[in-house]
Amino acid sequence: MEIAKIENQTTQYIVVNLGIEQYGIDIKYVDNIVRMQKITRVPKAPRFFRGVINLRGEIVPIMSVRRKFELDEDVITDKTRIIILKPEHQEAIGIIVDEVKEVLALDSDSIEKIQSNQNDEKAKYINAVGKYNDNLISILNINGVIDI
Amino acid sequence: MDVSQYLEIFIDETKEHLQNLSQQLMILEEEPDNADTINEIFRAAHSLKGMAGTMGYKRMQHLTHIMENALSEIRNGKMNVNAELVDVLFQCLDALETYLDNIVESQDEGTEDNEPIIARLNVFLNGGGGEAPAPKKEEKEAPKQEESSQGKEVKLNEYEAKAVNEAFNKNLNVYSLEVHVDENCILKAARAFLVFKAVEELGEIIKSDPSAQDIEDERFDLEFTIVVITEKDMEIVKKAVENVSEIRKVVANKISNVPKTAGAEETSVEKKADSSAVAVAEKSSAPAAASKSATTTKTGGKPVVNRSVRVDIEKLDVLMNLVSELIIAKNGLMSVSSNEEGMVSAAFNEQVEYLERVTTNLHESVMKVRMMPIETVTQKFPKMVRDLSKKLDKQMKLFITGEDTELDRTVIDEIGDPLMHLIRNSADHGLEDGETRAQRGKDPVGNIYLDAYQDGNNVVIEVRDDGNGIDVEKIRSKAIERGAVTPEQAEALTDKEVIDFLFQPSFSTAKQVTDVSGRGVGLDVVKTKIESLGGDIEVKTMLGEGSTFIIRLPLTLAIIQSLMVEVGGEKYAISLGSIQTIEDVLVTDIKYVQSKEVINLRGTVIPLIRLDSILDIEPSQENVESLTAVIVKKGDRLAGLIVDSLIGQQEIVIKSLGKYMSNNSKIISGATILGDGEVALILDANALV
Repeated sequence: MEIAKIENQTTQYIVVNLGIEQYGIDIKYVDNIVRMQKITRVPKAPRFFRGVINLRGEIVPIMSVRRKFELDEDVITDKTRIIILKPEHQEAIGIIVDEVKEVLALDSDSIEKIQSNQNDEKAKYINAVGKYNDNLISILNINGVIDI
Repeated sequence: MDVSQYLEIFIDETKEHLQNLSQQLMILEEEPDNADTINEIFRAAHSLKGMAGTMGYKRMQHLTHIMENALSEIRNGKMNVNAELVDVLFQCLDALETYLDNIVESQDEGTEDNEPIIARLNVFLNGGGGEAPAPKKEEKEAPKQEESSQGKEVKLNEYEAKAVNEAFNKNLNVYSLEVHVDENCILKAARAFLVFKAVEELGEIIKSDPSAQDIEDERFDLEFTIVVITEKDMEIVKKAVENVSEIRKVVANKISNVPKTAGAEETSVEKKADSSAVAVAEKSSAPAAASKSATTTKTGGKPVVNRSVRVDIEKLDVLMNLVSELIIAKNGLMSVSSNEEGMVSAAFNEQVEYLERVTTNLHESVMKVRMMPIETVTQKFPKMVRDLSKKLDKQMKLFITGEDTELDRTVIDEIGDPLMHLIRNSADHGLEDGETRAQRGKDPVGNIYLDAYQDGNNVVIEVRDDGNGIDVEKIRSKAIERGAVTPEQAEALTDKEVIDFLFQPSFSTAKQVTDVSGRGVGLDVVKTKIESLGGDIEVKTMLGEGSTFIIRLPLTLAIIQSLMVEVGGEKYAISLGSIQTIEDVLVTDIKYVQSKEVINLRGTVIPLIRLDSILDIEPSQENVESLTAVIVKKGDRLAGLIVDSLIGQQEIVIKSLGKYMSNNSKIISGATILGDGEVALILDANALV
């Protein structure tokens, strides 16, 4: 069993709801998950940036993934969360999600890489699809999402 | 000897001495007879020689040694200062700087022997009166010796005289030893120490002049005097001292009578200093005072040592961050106290106010620690301009004012190159050659001015010349030629817009590429650098009369006093330093110039800026009779920012918006965290005006 686990590397994902789809975020990118709070709008910033928040004394920009993915506007509810991402060698950035569902460990067998289609702008945001029970989880390509 | 641990100190001190040398040489060029300057140069060369020797930099030591020889000839009036000699000395300086650069890079002085320079110096040394340097040296020493044997009577104070007295009672011998250290001795203090040690084995040293501490610190010229009590013979003591290497000469004198008068003199001088002057002793105290002042002038000239500590700039950064945190915490406390009115006692408010005073002072102190006078950058410019003058064959002078203006250390480190670029520009492109200047009725000597001063929360540095000015038409045609704009577009551009082309990469108007400037890598680099420091640069020019480059830099990089305003429900901070006044403007007073809103404020026409439209805020539909305008200034330009309401003054900590946000617009210069944890954006008035 032990050996098998090492061969089939498992990765932990935070599963979030965004509209009707479920997305997975590799846990290694996640610094923190905070409740929705007042976001200070920054004029002249790209549209998908809703503004900045104060995260324990640090100014962190907040991106609306819905705006970036050209989905409907964010609907702020009790379940809305901001996931603070901290990619390697980069500044922290927050993304707004409708709901944080669970943390899931998927081994490499149950993850299917997607053939990236160069023409599709949105394709660079997703790099794989994970299968868990009957659900399909789109694995976010974090570097693609936060790339502006 | 492992000297690597001293390397940093060596580099710092060498830089200081070279700087001093450069300044003094500039003076010497103007005033060849200035004895003080010659002494100062001599001292600098001498110290450099000693330091280089200690560190084992043989070539550097050799060069400074030759320099020192030449300077000592000048000092003794054996040689005259002429332009050629100053030139050679400047070459020496350049050579020394090269050595230093090499040392900074590789800890090694390099292999350049600078033979030609040394040869030229030797020509001067041998040329002068046709005498070889050796006999001259002796001549020079002769008067010194005389002076010492006559005038240098050892003065003993009361206790020392008492000790001598006791010695006589015990039948011991008292000698005064005048020790002359070899001129080429590098570690004078070490030699002196060996002398002390040798003498102490034979007897007791009761007095030394200069004091033992000064000798230890190498604060003596080439000789010192000690008084020793011993039972040994004079010759034995003398021999012992002479056995120490690099001791040139020892003059020993037996003190046979108790030097009462000397003691009295000394005490009377001291008493005089104690404010009760003794009339009788006054006469005899005069020579003592005179000899005292003579010795002080000898050792004087060395700058008073500042009591300072070297601190890593990173440690200061940490300190600064902590101060920032403290201020945020304080702002939090203040907003708590103002929110819950009636709930908090007056004492609490008092303490919060006290805390505010302390944090403000603390912040100022930390800022001051980080501040350095701009002089550290500008002091190398006179020499640079002198070199440029020779290279370009134009006569020019540099005038610097406001060198004591202080800037943050990080800014100081970065600002040197841009300023150098601008001065080179002025020298090369700005100033005309002597002939043209004469034709235009100007002084053939071109003038470059560098003025630094503080203006509110900014430091302004102006680089100005009285040269040709910028030919706007020339740039216009060049821009067309380059294909940057079409002729039609070019016609429509204002002069200012045309001049902005100069700040674009690889846009040089110089007809000829000289090795001073003209390659087109200049102004754009200057602009980028200054903007990266949070500053900006603008140009004013009058064709035929000269041009001025004005650099505006923020004084502080982290914490500022600001005015909080509200626009469309959003809070913004405006730096207090850029605010001139706050005015209520009646809507009926608003006039239109070129379909832009302006007001006439006490005779000045000021354009109005609707912040809500600039910040993409829905304009309020209310019809109001009067508006609140915050009048901000940038240089001599003013603008009125229309805000909904004023919140108040607050000390804020500037935080960066990060790379995701900062590349879109310059009107937001950063963000700050308010007392209640909310984020407010900081408006950059400079970008709005």
